[in-house]
Amino acid sequence: MKNWWKYLCILLLFYTVIMGFLGPIPELNILEESIRNLYFHVPMWFAMMTLMFVSLVYSILYLNKQKIDHDIKAAAFAKVGFLFGLLGIITGSVWARATWGAWWVFQEVKLNGAAAALLVYAAYFILRGSFDDEEKKARFSSVYSIFAFVMFMVLINVIPRISNSSLHPGNGGNPGFNSYDLDSNLRIVFYPAVIGWILLSVWISTLLIRMEKIFRKKHQLDIE
Amino acid sequence: MLGNILKLVKKEIQLEWRQKTALGTIFIYVLGTSFLIYLIFQGNITIPTWIALFWIIALFTTVNAVSKSFIKDANEQFYYLRTIATPLEIIFSKIIYNALLITVLALVIYGVMILFFNENIADKGLFLLTIVLGSIGFSNLFTLLSAITARTQNFVLLAILGFPIILPLLLLIVKMSELSNFAIQQKDIYMNLGAIGLLDVITLILSVVLFPYIWRD
Repeated sequence: MKNWWKYLCILLLFYTVIMGFLGPIPELNILEESIRNLYFHVPMWFAMMTLMFVSLVYSILYLNKQKIDHDIKAAAFAKVGFLFGLLGIITGSVWARATWGAWWVFQEVKLNGAAAALLVYAAYFILRGSFDDEEKKARFSSVYSIFAFVMFMVLINVIPRISNSSLHPGNGGNPGFNSYDLDSNLRIVFYPAVIGWILLSVWISTLLIRMEKIFRKKHQLDIE
Repeated sequence: MLGNILKLVKKEIQLEWRQKTALGTIFIYVLGTSFLIYLIFQGNITIPTWIALFWIIALFTTVNAVSKSFIKDANEQFYYLRTIATPLEIIFSKIIYNALLITVLALVIYGVMILFFNENIADKGLFLLTIVLGSIGFSNLFTLLSAITARTQNFVLLAILGFPIILPLLLLIVKMSELSNFAIQQKDIYMNLGAIGLLDVITLILSVVLFPYIWRD
């Protein structure tokens, strides 16, 4: 079976949605039922980071090999990663409203970091649109993408640790989720959810790459 | 290599000095912006606002000053430079020159801000160190980005590409400036300085490694 991972993806997401909404959860103040968002909000960031990493790898490959195929893939993975980042922000914002009382909380460095990371990638797409020459576009945007990824990592991993003013679990003196879910009810849904959402994001990316290649074939452009 | 870099930096300074209008434009820009802000705030601000304004003016001035650093090499000079220098020498010389330029501009802004607002940072030495480290970081990032944007016709691109990418550094610098005014723990100062220095090194390595891919045509 060639496409086994697509079936796995469907299976895991069905499991995530059904168990996510119906499964047992620990009883917690303030969080209450909203803790089910753990299966949706957090995996979005895992998916985004995975795709951005894949995009980075293809950008580096492009700079080494100069095959336009690598650039098509880098762009497609970044696009879908951006989409998942947006979903992460939206699901996070809804959750913040329910638990912290506001759609957007300034003191929350992770929120601002995530928004800035999205801006970085938005700039990447603008840059791609600014070149007429295919080869230059691929080369320059690959360079920018490498820069973007490093700064993205600094933004969401380093800055929150230094600034010490995060409301997220496990940051700034807040207890992490690990100390809550002693019965590990959350964990048996959370891990499959992460894998399921990542697989879905990769699946969407491959579709995007195929679309782009068909488009290029139709217009007799290079696809190797 | 070192000799060539120094020669190229000297070339940049000489070119800049000959085109006094370009240099004058940037200085008047600094003066104009600071004066405008002084009038808008009616000469009355607190230190945190002072710091925020200082770095905003510095950031915008940097974008304006650095944006042209590869444009004047776009045509015939580009081919000439390629025959006499390696990409590494070019990027190092541009980064050094831009870092010097940004530091001088930041010092001018500092002077103007003190003059207008009558406020000053408590630990001036530490703030000057922050300015120098910040200017190096600004230069590392914006020099490479301006090499990218010089090839497009999109002139707003440098700001679009630069602002979100400079953000981690900018946040650390603002924090550092506040610490140089008032720090509870000495430990915080070292930690922040270390983080800024680390970012400077990371951005420098990235710029130097990636520049050859931009420079070849």
